[in-house]
Amino acid sequence: MHDDDLDSDVTDRLLLQRMANGDRAALGILYRSYHGRLCRFLGRLTRRPEVIEEVINDCFWIAWQKAGSFHGDSRVSTWLMGIAYRSGLKTLRQHGDAPVEDDPRREERSAAHDLDEDRELRDWLSKGLDRLSADQRVVIELVYGVGHSLDEVAVIMQCPVGTVKARLFHARVKLRNVLPGLAGEPPQRTEAMP
Amino acid sequence: MTFPMDSGKDCVRAWEMMPWVLQDSATAEQGAWLEGHLAQCAACRAEFAQQSRLRLALSLPAQPAPDVEAGLGRLLQRLDAPAATPAPARARAAGWLNRALVAAVLVQALGIGILGVKLWSAGSAPAYRTLSEPSQGAPAGTIRVVPDAGMTLADWNALLHALRLQVVAGPNDVGAYTVAPASSASTAQQALQQLRSTRGIVLAEPVATP
Repeated sequence: MHDDDLDSDVTDRLLLQRMANGDRAALGILYRSYHGRLCRFLGRLTRRPEVIEEVINDCFWIAWQKAGSFHGDSRVSTWLMGIAYRSGLKTLRQHGDAPVEDDPRREERSAAHDLDEDRELRDWLSKGLDRLSADQRVVIELVYGVGHSLDEVAVIMQCPVGTVKARLFHARVKLRNVLPGLAGEPPQRTEAMP
Repeated sequence: MTFPMDSGKDCVRAWEMMPWVLQDSATAEQGAWLEGHLAQCAACRAEFAQQSRLRLALSLPAQPAPDVEAGLGRLLQRLDAPAATPAPARARAAGWLNRALVAAVLVQALGIGILGVKLWSAGSAPAYRTLSEPSQGAPAGTIRVVPDAGMTLADWNALLHALRLQVVAGPNDVGAYTVAPASSASTAQQALQQLRSTRGIVLAEPVATP
């Protein structure tokens, strides 16, 4: 674990302690600090931008209620992402996994303040993620996007580390077979291990 | 399990190491080893380039991201709301809807069950009759008899009484009666013979029963 991670976890734990005592300012700090990564994570999981805020608020509502019972078995970020994952899954069950139709206004909004290069990168990624299951998207986001270890992902998803490894492996193979083709190179096929 | 590269042990090790080197959680030795391997393996170099691009793409902020202050404001309002719960009203509505649907299905199943029992019990005695059927529920040994037009009612009644027969239908358009024995089928056979030999009886034929 990096020193930065240790520092931020110490800060997060202090914020949780304050939250357990009813300190709303601490809640606000934690909320702002995690908002960006939760938006991205829940966007990948649910693929429904219109429900993201609701799920984030469900997640922090639970964190507010349970702040006092946090025992410190894991980092606060792992604990919080686990709550967000379960809240997101609940929403996914209510709304389904299919991505919503692209809103043209959203496209315009994105284009207005999105560099061409970023937009191209987003499209490239989105076409790859479309081929993955919700759990595979979550593992990819948690490992590559957020930077969690296999053990932490296993805690967040409440499953064995072996399952996380398998999901990561299959997601990478799928992306590898799909993404080079989209980037203009011939796709490389999966071959048996020697 | 399959491995997506036509490669040896070093490539497998490199493949497994890539995410952790990319997220900077691998040791310095691991990083140096991977760098050395990439320098001599084009396939792993291409894979690592793609992994780097994947990490870069995943680090872009969400589009569109909801407004953080507005979201926090709504969360704080929710904390103030009486009996606030993490389950939104939509979920509760869905819960009621599900319960109502389950109830409707149960009522339907009950109805189908009752209907099934009724149909099953009525199956042996259908409540309809085809036009070609000779008579309704003709019992075994039923005989169709055509008496002569000149036969008196007293003679006809006496004959039926003697043979222990009773009229169950008729007379129809051609003056035929349907008679049935009061007791058993053997009596009917004897009655048929006697009817045929009786003067004044034009026709006596057993009614075919299915």
